[in-house]
Amino acid sequence: MSNDIEKVRNIGISAHIDSGKTTLTERILYYTQRIHAIHEVRGKDGVGAKMDSMELEKERGITIASAATYCTWKDHAINIIDTPGHVDFTIEVERALRVLDGAVLILCSVGGVQSQSITVNRQMTRYNVPRIAFINKCDRTGANPARVTAQLRDKLALNAVPIQLPIGLEADMLGIIDLVTMKAVYFEGDNGDDIRIEEIPADYKDAVDEAREVMLDAVSMFSDELMEAVLEGTPTPEMIGEAIRKATLSLELTPVLVGSAYKNKGVQTLLDAVNAYLPCPTEVNNFALDLKNNEAEVKVSNDPKDPLVALAFKLEDGRYGQLTYVRTYQGTLKKGDTIYNSRTGKKVKVGRLVRMHSDEMEDIDTSGSGDIVALFGVDCASGDTFTSGDVSYSMSSMHIPAPVISLAIVPIDNKAQGNMSKALNRFTKEDPTFKTYVDDETSETIISGMGELHLDVYVERMKREYGAEVTVGAPQVAYRETITQRAEFDYTHKKQTGGSGQFGRVSGFVEPMEDGVYEFVDAIVGGVIPREFISSCDKGFQKSLVKGSLAEAPVTGVRVTINDGSFHAVDSSDVAFQLAAIGAFRQGYLKASPVLMEPIMKVSVEGPTEFQGAIMGSLNQRRGMILGTSEEANYTVVDAEVPLSEMFGYSTVLRSLTQGKAEFTMEFATYRQVPKNVAEEIIQARLKAKKNK
Amino acid sequence: MKKKDLVEKNPLKMFVQDKDGNPVNQRMSLLMSRAGLGKTAILVQIALDSILRGNKVLHVSVGQSLDKTRAWYDDILHDIVGAMGLEDGAEVKEQVMRNRLIMTFKEAEFNRPKLEERLNDLVYQNVFRPDCLIVDGFDFEQTERQGLVEMRELVDAMELQVWFSALLHREDHRESSSGVPAPCHEVDDLFDTVVLIQPQGEKPNLCLKVVKDNGGQAGKILALDPVTYLVKEA
Repeated sequence: MSNDIEKVRNIGISAHIDSGKTTLTERILYYTQRIHAIHEVRGKDGVGAKMDSMELEKERGITIASAATYCTWKDHAINIIDTPGHVDFTIEVERALRVLDGAVLILCSVGGVQSQSITVNRQMTRYNVPRIAFINKCDRTGANPARVTAQLRDKLALNAVPIQLPIGLEADMLGIIDLVTMKAVYFEGDNGDDIRIEEIPADYKDAVDEAREVMLDAVSMFSDELMEAVLEGTPTPEMIGEAIRKATLSLELTPVLVGSAYKNKGVQTLLDAVNAYLPCPTEVNNFALDLKNNEAEVKVSNDPKDPLVALAFKLEDGRYGQLTYVRTYQGTLKKGDTIYNSRTGKKVKVGRLVRMHSDEMEDIDTSGSGDIVALFGVDCASGDTFTSGDVSYSMSSMHIPAPVISLAIVPIDNKAQGNMSKALNRFTKEDPTFKTYVDDETSETIISGMGELHLDVYVERMKREYGAEVTVGAPQVAYRETITQRAEFDYTHKKQTGGSGQFGRVSGFVEPMEDGVYEFVDAIVGGVIPREFISSCDKGFQKSLVKGSLAEAPVTGVRVTINDGSFHAVDSSDVAFQLAAIGAFRQGYLKASPVLMEPIMKVSVEGPTEFQGAIMGSLNQRRGMILGTSEEANYTVVDAEVPLSEMFGYSTVLRSLTQGKAEFTMEFATYRQVPKNVAEEIIQARLKAKKNK
Repeated sequence: MKKKDLVEKNPLKMFVQDKDGNPVNQRMSLLMSRAGLGKTAILVQIALDSILRGNKVLHVSVGQSLDKTRAWYDDILHDIVGAMGLEDGAEVKEQVMRNRLIMTFKEAEFNRPKLEERLNDLVYQNVFRPDCLIVDGFDFEQTERQGLVEMRELVDAMELQVWFSALLHREDHRESSSGVPAPCHEVDDLFDTVVLIQPQGEKPNLCLKVVKDNGGQAGKILALDPVTYLVKEA
């Protein structure tokens, strides 16, 4: 490995499905001599491409989880983080985007910029990820890199500037022309290993001159030295390269490369561009949250001598136990070190440190700042931060959103039952937004998460990776209840049916509380309820919160104050006061105008402008509140807040409304009161469902 | 203070009334200033005032992002709630969210046919029927008179209260006979009301000066709070 941090590249390869991401990764690994034969994604040879180590991904030909793999190219160390292209796996995408410093945006030369690319690009802009574009599949019929470059400018608003031209297109693609060095590059041999560099063919001269002028114009904006040299007619490839690098790092320019991974054209030159134009870890600002200082942002130093800060961004179940992928942001990680988990405060010993090459590994002793490696046998959850104990930084916020949707799952047989628990145990560790529990009443296992697709993927993974087949119930929205006004209660629990009796009286009031779930205020004076029974009251109230009396949804945002009561020397007990509190809560709750709350999603729909009206109409029909629209070229984005319960099946509706040209993303925004008429329906439906059980 | 007192006390009400206090439902107005004096801040206050009066506002922002425009509303509403000690702040916020729609366009992509198409979409799909339209960032220098005449026709046909903002240049001293500066000096007849943001007083604070008004309020001046930019009586 290279200890020189300037020669480390942590990159993501990001793209729309089917633009050839996996094939490209496979070729990169081949040329960097990490693998010794080439397999195809939907491989007929049954081996499949290397990065798709998950069965499900192999089957669907898509990449869901972000495995990291290591390779070297011309004395640079490159860590490739396989980035999911689906926005629905938010946590996964966000973690991947956090650990990478730069990205290669792959586009299909035929399909061009599609809505998924727009979303991915927007996320990268949000995380300030410098990127280079690679227009792939130039060998396909209908290939048109110039059109794709124009789309990069129009649809993605990137300052996209070609620094290469293809020699021939479609079936005639022979190689590429490098506009920086002004040479033609051919890739020969069965697997394109032999690179032949020649002069530019004469019939390309005009096109090359024109493209080079465009490139120099765009690039010289970022370097005075280059600007002067261009005016004097003496720019050197080094000057141009430096200016491209500077502009790319400042996110003001996106160099565009061309090639065809499948036909082994342009991959090595892409690797050169990764080394030349994408940042090393010290060139990117990363921030940690200081837990001692109210999660204030602190810049991490990248200095290998500073106290260790490392983020566990991905867990995997390997053949030899749990494998934890970490990225170090400062300090050095050594085999045998003791490190601290800032979330749990627990000490962990680094037993084995490995560098991952998809699912094969190589043992190493130390890992420097900015590097990506994997740890063995370390117990932690994904998203945890490890430190040397001298600082209490966390790379990710400790606030995890509560799940908004749930499903009941039933294993089909005994074998599936066992495997299911194993799978669920693993998933909940990997993904903090994925939760699971057993419903007391129905004894069903419930899984909950952040959206329909989120849960779908886990159900699929359960089946493929763990052999746990389950039947799935209808998705349930996680409603909540809360109160809207203050109300008094005064309740006596009395029972005398032989044996020792039960007695407890609790009096006080409930009131709404804006933030938080529940608060208990003890305003008892003069011992009208003895000390030891106060906590019994608290317990009783907490039990009442589990199911509200409207729709049996959890109750939140309630402050309960008790200020009076009475007891009996013999008959009062813990149980008696708990029951009294439960009765008291029920009494106060109904008087406090309880309401039903539902999860509201922030929905963003992107599509051609001609469908703007139809998109807005469809959101409006779903009780959506349209926040705004933004229009750019022929594309429009409609932002709205829509109740989750109305979003089931929206993707199908949207597809048919817009001839499949619009796509949407959604994430949880907040909880809001359900309108009266809708709430009535939900409550009735729940009552009916209960009766039928 | 309650919401209805706020509406009653707001000096901006002069822009929805004539000088005798009768409501004016349809009017095309223009807010002008040099760069950085707070055009958007004033327009957002006008929009908020309109929403609190029970109207629906369509805010068209040319050249600014959706998030940024929304942030303007959040900030100013926050200032108003704080400065006026508004009790029903949460309710007001909800009302603003439900009755405001923001549309953003890139520069050079906004024109009357596009606006008309969007407005028709909104009304036809029964999504939103605006009473008040705010157009922030309209490029008067690049628009021919005919373009504005058409805009006026659209506004009249839809019975809207409309506010445009326009950018003044320090070095351009041209002016219309009614005192409306360039670049709007040749189209001032299309507007019912023209207001300037300008420095005033010894310690130069900013104020709003009504340059032209068909409702007979020309010459009136409103002061601006130097910190929050909230409009107050002079």
